[in-house]
Amino acid sequence: MSDPTETSEKPATPATPAAPATPAAHDAHDDHDTPPPGDGDGNGNGNGQDGALYGILAQYDTPGELLEAARKVKDAGYSEFDCYSPFPVHGIDPAMGIKRTILPLVIFCGGFVGATGGLLLQWYCNAYQWGWNISGKPTWSIPANIPIAYECGILIAVLTSFFGVWAFNKLPQVWHPLFRSDRFARVTDDGFFIGIEAADKRFDAEKTKALLEGAGAIAIENVHFDPDPANKQMPKWIMGIIIASTAFALVPFAIAAKARNTKSSEPHWNIFPDMDYQPKAKSDQADDLFPDGRENRGEIANTVPRGWLEADETFYHGLEHADAGDSWTTGFPKQYPDSSAVPPDLRGQPFAIDMRLLKRGQNRFNIYCTPCHGYDAHGQGMVPTRVRSEGGNWDARNLVDPSGPVVQMPNGQLFNTISNGYAKMMGYAAQIPPWDRWAIVAYVRTLERAQNASHDDVPAADQGSIK
Amino acid sequence: MSSAEATADAHGGNQGKAREHFRNITRDVSWVAESPKPHPLWLAALAVGVTAFSIGIWCIYVVVTRGIGVWGNSQMVCWAWDITNFVWWIGIGHAGTLISAVLYLTRQQWRVTINRSAEAMTIFAVMCAGLFPLLHTGRPWFAWWMIPLPNDMGSIWPQFRSPLMWDVFAVSTYFTTSLLFWYMGMVPDLATFRDRWAMRGNKVRAIVYGVLCLGWRGSARQWHRYERVYLILAGLATPLVFSVHSVVSFDFATSQLPGWHTTIFPPYFVAGAIYSGFAMVMTLILPLRYLFNLKHIITQAHVHAMCKVMMACGMMVTLAYGHEFFVAWYSGNEFEQFTFLSRVFGPFWWIWWGFLFLGNVVTPHFFWSNWVKNNNYVIWCLCILVNLGMWGERFVIIAVSLSRSFLPSAWSYYHPTRYDIGVFVGTIGMFLTLFLLFFRFAPVIAISEVKGASEEAHAGKGGH
Amino acid sequence: MSLTKNLHPDEKYKAGKLGTQMTLVGLGLIAGMGILSLILGAVHKGPGGEDDHFKRFLYAYVTSWAWIASLSIGMLWLVLLHHLTRSRWSTVVRRIAESMTGAFPIIWLAGLGFVLPVLFGYKDLYYWAAPDAAKDPAIAHKLGWLSPGMFTMRYVIYGAIYIGISTYFSKKSREQDESGDPKISISLRRASGPGMILFSITTCALAFDVLMSLAPKWYSTIYGVMFWGSGEIAAFAALGLIVLWLQRNGRLVHSINEEHYHDIGKWMFSFTFFWAYTAFSQFMLQWYGNMPDETVWYKYRMFGDWQWVSIAILVGYWAFPFVFLMSRWTKRIVPSLVFFAVWQLVFHWLDMYWDTMPQYDWTMVGNHNAGPLAGPIALHHVGFTAVDITVWLALIGFFLVGTGRGLKGNLIPVKDPTLGMSLAHEQL
Repeated sequence: MSDPTETSEKPATPATPAAPATPAAHDAHDDHDTPPPGDGDGNGNGNGQDGALYGILAQYDTPGELLEAARKVKDAGYSEFDCYSPFPVHGIDPAMGIKRTILPLVIFCGGFVGATGGLLLQWYCNAYQWGWNISGKPTWSIPANIPIAYECGILIAVLTSFFGVWAFNKLPQVWHPLFRSDRFARVTDDGFFIGIEAADKRFDAEKTKALLEGAGAIAIENVHFDPDPANKQMPKWIMGIIIASTAFALVPFAIAAKARNTKSSEPHWNIFPDMDYQPKAKSDQADDLFPDGRENRGEIANTVPRGWLEADETFYHGLEHADAGDSWTTGFPKQYPDSSAVPPDLRGQPFAIDMRLLKRGQNRFNIYCTPCHGYDAHGQGMVPTRVRSEGGNWDARNLVDPSGPVVQMPNGQLFNTISNGYAKMMGYAAQIPPWDRWAIVAYVRTLERAQNASHDDVPAADQGSIK
Repeated sequence: MSSAEATADAHGGNQGKAREHFRNITRDVSWVAESPKPHPLWLAALAVGVTAFSIGIWCIYVVVTRGIGVWGNSQMVCWAWDITNFVWWIGIGHAGTLISAVLYLTRQQWRVTINRSAEAMTIFAVMCAGLFPLLHTGRPWFAWWMIPLPNDMGSIWPQFRSPLMWDVFAVSTYFTTSLLFWYMGMVPDLATFRDRWAMRGNKVRAIVYGVLCLGWRGSARQWHRYERVYLILAGLATPLVFSVHSVVSFDFATSQLPGWHTTIFPPYFVAGAIYSGFAMVMTLILPLRYLFNLKHIITQAHVHAMCKVMMACGMMVTLAYGHEFFVAWYSGNEFEQFTFLSRVFGPFWWIWWGFLFLGNVVTPHFFWSNWVKNNNYVIWCLCILVNLGMWGERFVIIAVSLSRSFLPSAWSYYHPTRYDIGVFVGTIGMFLTLFLLFFRFAPVIAISEVKGASEEAHAGKGGH
Repeated sequence: MSLTKNLHPDEKYKAGKLGTQMTLVGLGLIAGMGILSLILGAVHKGPGGEDDHFKRFLYAYVTSWAWIASLSIGMLWLVLLHHLTRSRWSTVVRRIAESMTGAFPIIWLAGLGFVLPVLFGYKDLYYWAAPDAAKDPAIAHKLGWLSPGMFTMRYVIYGAIYIGISTYFSKKSREQDESGDPKISISLRRASGPGMILFSITTCALAFDVLMSLAPKWYSTIYGVMFWGSGEIAAFAALGLIVLWLQRNGRLVHSINEEHYHDIGKWMFSFTFFWAYTAFSQFMLQWYGNMPDETVWYKYRMFGDWQWVSIAILVGYWAFPFVFLMSRWTKRIVPSLVFFAVWQLVFHWLDMYWDTMPQYDWTMVGNHNAGPLAGPIALHHVGFTAVDITVWLALIGFFLVGTGRGLKGNLIPVKDPTLGMSLAHEQL
């Protein structure tokens, strides 16, 4: 046996001196050719000749000769025969008269079902069964559903192809009479065979053999079924493994099914406790490090954190000092504090209700208040509108209703409501600094005035035009 | 050829010559898995792979138990090494599908010697890739939430309009398809292994391979359907391979971040994927064909062809860069313009020039030279540059864009931690380990396809 | 069954008078349809009944010019690919593809029909040439690039590149007919790499300039790739039809068979898929990103009158041919292949129309001179007119003249070393 590297275009120099010897040196069984061709009496060597006759197997030298022989066998009228080769021989299909398989059509249907199914799945999950509203975008928007439908189409087509080819080929079939022939093992290496089955109605031990020989066979032998019925079946232990592994594969599903249908008062499993119990302090946790057992340390008595002094009660809290104690101010602060809470040019200046303040108030109002209260402050912003569109019934407070509480409310209380919230409304102190809150108060007062204006409020010059 | 001549003499004429040729192919390929002692360099590489894999397992353990805070990701650079690695690995997988499917459809015969190992590479690369989004979720044990299962939390379904869900479907379809395609292609060769081990009397291996090959008999009627379905699978894998990296690119391009939102992304990602994939195929194949004496099957002509594909894809990637830069200027969008300038001249300039520009723009042009294409050491080094370049490209797209988004106050610099590096090294180790094991236990070259593509398969055809 | 075949001894592979016939038909179309188009263009009124100043004519001209240019561009790509990959199946049709690329000089001459007006101050075709464009900051910054002079210069450069590459490849190929020198194949293969690079850059840039800049504020990086992919469908369709026409006239009947038609069909199918892929990528990313400067392009195509054209393209250009071309038999049975070739050629034109024409009415709609794609959707109408069709036919005339020039001498590269394999080509 020659060194395989000699046949290549370039001499194969091993990459390193430590490279192993060439394959040939270790590959004993390749040193002899196929078993010597039979003498033509049909008694091949070394095979079980004991069971019923399966058919005749003939070996040919080259793919070309196999092709010729296949054509002759087909022309002789045989139908229960097959060619066997280590690779698909080009042109063998017409030579044997094989019809084109319908598998492509099956696969096309699979792909179609997959793509449609993918689309339906998304429609069912995201649009029909649980419409998931994200920023008001449509729940069912085809362009965004195309990629998954496409992948599903391909996936199902691929699965159809893969399982289809084995189903149509009747595989897996690990036991076959042909495997009883030693010579047939060459079919995955260099052997080209034709097997004519005894089941063919034209089969005749002598004539068939003569036909195959005439077509140039280099070896011919009879192939028999295994006489022992036990060997025709799958061994028990393999069956056992298959059953056991199938049962084992069902275990997770069984656990999931049980978990879905039972209740448990046990705490859930912490697979990785670090994620659930992290080494950090939270303000509401207990802790034995401090005598009071709390992790939250609170404020130290008689101290004020920097920037938290808020000496001007009116400006920061809407309160004014009266003889009877604190009460909500009905006016506005007298002066801006000299603090970073106000714009630099206003610090320490007298508080003026001017156009700048109102514009600022309008701007802040439109950003923070309109989602619920609406631009006209009637309490019908986007949020109540949406609630109504979903069948609910809730309005935000109408801020300008002359009979409503807001109109009567002192300015200080309105300021406090913006700061700390009221009922469903949350406090906005974190988002809106005090100066802006006062601007909003001023703007709300303006809205009240404007919404409840009488005809007399129109300047005299214009009164005629809008009557 | 001495024994072939002897056979020919014995039978007269050319008899047995074709069979001798087929037998040689079978033997030389099977030898890779059959040789009783593996090559010491193979063992050394395996040791390296297993070591790196172990490091990776440790780092993954830390990442999973302590959370992804151990990574260098931050509020702004929320995707960093993990997603870079994901895109890189997925891209590497694409070369395998390209070789096995696209080149099959376009009847490029040179694919037959490398398609099996390239497909194996695809599968292992996709496994590595899938790891990263899984870990990035922080709680990988809840990954099944991405499957649309009826559940008892009301009716909570995945959000199918999210590109990240598209990824889940694309990558899992891709993995399934690659696996089935690979396995199906391997069945006739597994039958070869079955018969070879049976002939030597190794019953255990014969049974294992016998079950794996499903009792393949090489019948013409089976081959007929097999070939049709193989063609169809190739036809399905081709649009799939386009879609997978396109969907990955959608993760970025559907957003509005400058440098991400551009319509060339899908084809540009696919070209880049094939480019890096071929580099990885060569990185693996070039040494292994020395180690296992496969140089007469995977010839220098095949290496040439791979170099040319790399060259073409590299230049497609360059063209896409050109498009991006041109349109950034053409659009008049100053955020877009800033992003591209900051990639080139910003704090990560060295990645742009050192990895991306060198690896993806300059390297392809070395392959104009035949001297380079014949010099396997140079090719191997260039392939490493390409691998680095494509990794750098993904890093530039992901981390550099995120670290320079719209708000200057949110700008930051990104530093990987040892766990970022460790997990990445671990996936390289896993990839190497699996690939080396594949070489020892499976038919590394599509034996039946090599035979079918050889002269002898067509020679000596009779009349019509 | 063998791997190679010899040219059939009775094969008629000389073009004879066929090229002249084609040229004459083309000249007839140019003369007849050209004059008709000029008349129709002159009398055409805008949607508001105002004078149109040949604007519709020029928009139809750009549409149909892009259509004929994409046929030759598509075939130039096939020629380059053939050499680059050493393709086997395409050797028998390569000479015909080369003849189609021989139309480049005529096509570029025809293109002067819209380039020269722009150069000499026509303001209504490209908005960037209009005086109002400079007021728009989104356009003003690129007016150096999109200026009549620069535009014309680039047009000339693109033409020079296409004509240079195509002439080189056909000339060398015909030289091989004489000498049979296999070295010519090698030198062409060497040239095909750089040729492909130049080709890609030029094609993308051409699409950016001629088509994309009709809406100068809008941009999409994939646009050039999409234009090329769409053009390839039509180019292969045209190749199939020309081959069939030659065979009906007794040429190449033994050389080109259903195996080769099958490959032409496969390419049509592949590019139908590829075009859809690029078109979907562009649409989906801009739709999903939802940025006003991008979605404006689709806004006027997804709603109003234009949505019906969009749906027609989706169904007619993609879904219907995609499903049917998937089958092996559609590609092998010549009448069905012819049907789909004609179908795709028409739909490729509709695709070009859909690219250009929504920009047409920018000087007419309510907000005068806000540029293309502005104003209420309801005011934008498709408005098919006769001039769209007559200009198309006239430009087909230019293409036929150009291709007819190339159909001379041998219709098959008789001494190409791969011819034998190509003749024996068989599908799996």
